[in-house]
Amino acid sequence: MISKETFTQFGKTLKGVMLGSAVALSIGITALPQQAQADETCMSPYMAKIVGQEDYIYVWTLGAVGVGDEQDKLVTVAANPKDKNYGKVINSISVGGRNEAHHSGFTDDRKYLWAGGLDTNKIFIFDVHTNPSKPTLHKTIENFVADSGGVVGPHTTYAMPGTMMISGLSNNKDHGGRTALVEYTNAGDFVATHWMPTDENLNGAKKSGQFADGYGYDVRVLPRRNMMVTSSFTGWNNYMMDFGKLVGDAEAMKRMGNTVVIWDLHTKQPKKVLDVPGAPLEIRCAWGADKNYCFTTTALTSRIWLIYEDDKGEWQAKDVAAIGDASKIPLPVDISISSDDNTLWVNTFMDGKTRSFDISNPHAPKQVFEQQIGKQVNMVSSSWDGKRLYYTSSLLANWDKKGENQDQYLRAFDWDGKKLTSTFDIDFVKAGLGFPHQMRFGSNALYAKAPTSKSADAIIASLSK
Amino acid sequence: MTSLNSFAAGEISNTQIPQLHGAGDDKTGYETKYYTTKSKALTTRVGKKTDLLSLIKQPPLGLPNVPIPANNPISVEKIALGRKLFYDRRLSLNSTFSCAMCHVPEQGFTHNELATAVGLEGRSGRRNSPTLFNIAYAEKLFHDGREDTLEQQVWGPLLAHNEMGNPSPGVVLRKIRTLNDYNGLFENVFNKPVNMETLGMALATYQRSLNSANSPFDQWYFGHNDAAVTPSVKRGFKLFRGKANCIACHTVNNDSAVFTDHKLHNTGHGFSVSTYQRPKKQRLLVAPGQYIEIDSDLFDSVSEKKPNDVGLYEITEDPADRWKYKTPTLRNISLTAPYMHDGAFKTLEEVVNFYNHGGTPNEELDPLIKPLGLTPNEIQDILAFLNSLTGSNVDELIADGFAAPVGDTQ
Ligand code: HEC
Ligand code: HEC
Repeated sequence: MISKETFTQFGKTLKGVMLGSAVALSIGITALPQQAQADETCMSPYMAKIVGQEDYIYVWTLGAVGVGDEQDKLVTVAANPKDKNYGKVINSISVGGRNEAHHSGFTDDRKYLWAGGLDTNKIFIFDVHTNPSKPTLHKTIENFVADSGGVVGPHTTYAMPGTMMISGLSNNKDHGGRTALVEYTNAGDFVATHWMPTDENLNGAKKSGQFADGYGYDVRVLPRRNMMVTSSFTGWNNYMMDFGKLVGDAEAMKRMGNTVVIWDLHTKQPKKVLDVPGAPLEIRCAWGADKNYCFTTTALTSRIWLIYEDDKGEWQAKDVAAIGDASKIPLPVDISISSDDNTLWVNTFMDGKTRSFDISNPHAPKQVFEQQIGKQVNMVSSSWDGKRLYYTSSLLANWDKKGENQDQYLRAFDWDGKKLTSTFDIDFVKAGLGFPHQMRFGSNALYAKAPTSKSADAIIASLSK
Repeated sequence: MTSLNSFAAGEISNTQIPQLHGAGDDKTGYETKYYTTKSKALTTRVGKKTDLLSLIKQPPLGLPNVPIPANNPISVEKIALGRKLFYDRRLSLNSTFSCAMCHVPEQGFTHNELATAVGLEGRSGRRNSPTLFNIAYAEKLFHDGREDTLEQQVWGPLLAHNEMGNPSPGVVLRKIRTLNDYNGLFENVFNKPVNMETLGMALATYQRSLNSANSPFDQWYFGHNDAAVTPSVKRGFKLFRGKANCIACHTVNNDSAVFTDHKLHNTGHGFSVSTYQRPKKQRLLVAPGQYIEIDSDLFDSVSEKKPNDVGLYEITEDPADRWKYKTPTLRNISLTAPYMHDGAFKTLEEVVNFYNHGGTPNEELDPLIKPLGLTPNEIQDILAFLNSLTGSNVDELIADGFAAPVGDTQ
């Protein structure tokens, strides 16, 4: 089932139409349904959501030496219990190379899945609408670094109206953490590079504390507040390095992000640099129409941070909760917010645990649930209704657990609010696939039911009333 | 681009601090909660081409004539071709690694941010990337001295699995032949196409131009300008060739100095690394000024086994050569941290303290390494001397590196 308020309509109709930021903004403001949208809850607000049962999970999977064909692939798993292949791998497309497969994201019309390689800087664009059960490789962007003026490590591929916003992690000069946001049209043409603010060039941003490192990681938007927000991880040298070697290299450990940047969504200008020490990674913004805040977690200092707009309209960052025992460096990685903004799932890589926090008071999250998922865990994806949770294991090729501690899986669970019940479990190494990273959901209904008619202009007009 | 004669405060005021030197996101002071970023913008990292040929023909004060192999004469075009190759990331198997990704111009043509190198697909190197300043004078290459000429040396990184990862010379040469922007360049310089030999010759010629001297020390010692350095530097040099006898290995001649005897020695550092027992606990810096004490085995499950390193022994298989490494140059030494073959020492002070304690005793310890009995003041003088070895044209060479186009897939 597809939500009535989704943007399938104009997503489809506007295909190939480049929207100016002003138009994009007005769509953002008026088109957001009052009702909460959910991961599906980590999707861009400019996109159709699957609010019922997902049919497929697309798993962007790292090739691993000694496993199958040793290259990155997009793996499709049947996820609808009614499917005769439920819980099985039904398709796999190898793309060539170990590109450090990492994150992926749909275009706003949800027809294409963009999947980045943090090492080789290639972006693989898969057609997921022609046959949602069998995606095909539509196009590969090979010149991301040259296009962007030296950005390395395409990370988040986030849907904007008609374009994709791609957050970089590094650069081609020193493989350090200074980087930029890079924008492409849905068709795959380069639009612009927006450099992260540095001390030398804050680009109009205000440094609110001690840091302006110029680092990047995730990107999210709150169109209602004309706000875009980015976090900061580390450069190629570190994210590609053997994890043990990194921890043992005191100089390298200083090259970690300590900032969250608030941007003007409309102009793509950085406005404020917030101090969030300890490598803030994933960002999830609340969906409720009156909730002007987002969460992020810091990998090294194991904290939940609230990024919120105060009564004076100023964006602030606040450390609101601890995650596990910080002295064991559990390493919070992926997080997922529920559609009603009451729950935040937080995975910690080192102990393989998932934790659920009650965030009904965003200023005081309380842990209410904890369970080990595997020897390591990275990503978590929740269905719209929060009843199904999917976990994958891989963080980064050279950070993953090795030898007897290796554990590479996709594990699916039902969640009844109290306990997780396993529904299926795929061992990605045994299956000869590799190390599974990000999951995105697919649905047949999304395309079958997509309504036609209405011109782009008509839709924009109706939206901006 | 002229070099700045700006002076650091205090006693060590002889240091020439090149303006362009330094990792773009300076982390000085990160250990404290007072740390503030001093990040540079990547968009301002634009440089200016310099006359590299003259740096080979008339090397700066303090350097001897540049040795040029008879079969690889220098030319402006050859330097330019070598420079283009040096910054070209397409020379690696997956087009992510140029030579300059590890020998970063603004990081002393080494890598200040990493103790040991990280190469293709993040594969671990076990050694520190050496500086390429004044590499023209090296008689032996690599920390274990296993290679003889720059022309041959290039095939080491190009083919190393954990550096640029090319599976064969053929793969590299074929790739260059298909790149339009190399059309005719090799033919122009060598009258023949790119092959194993001409590729090495071009890269070697560029590297031969990275000569940097005319440091305050040179201006004083070879240029007879008494005011070029502080008394502390002069005292430091006296200790360097006297009581501390560093000069026995880090050679200084009458009219020039490369600060190396081109030999390999056991200082005990390699031995101590190979036989190191890690403590049960260690402190990890997780954010500016924030340390967490962790169990040392906390990250074992995500760590590959640390590779061993026995130095020259690995080449000769002679037990007497265990843990012998090449004497490095000391020119521009304040710009090329971290130090020693594995980048274990962060500061020059740590290095001098190591020598003062007599290195690490072991069977093969070089007889020249022994406790020195240097006082704290004497150590400061030696440091002042080491800091006076920064060449006057460093900014010029960095700017030239900035101006070189970075080769990426177009
Ligand atoms: C992955 C990082 C990396 C890359 C890429 C790399 N190097 Fe190096 N380089 C090193 C390291 C590490 C060493 C020391 C290795 C050893 O001693 O075994 C080294 C040593 C050298 C040396 C010897 C220096 C000395 O003092 O003995 C030269 C010359 C050199 N590299 C030039 C190059 C050139 C030319 C290229 C490109 C064709 C290149 N390097 C690419 C890391 C790198
Ligand atoms: C027996 C010969 C010998 C003597 C005497 C000696 N050195 Fe060294 N020096 C070496 C060798 C060999 C290395 C490289 C060791 C390694 O890579 O593990 C080195 C490394 C260094 C380095 C680090 C260079 C770099 O680029 O990493 C410095 C600095 C240095 N020495 C300074 C001194 C000073 C100061 C003295 C006198 C107090 C001194 N040395 C005495 C042989 C010597």
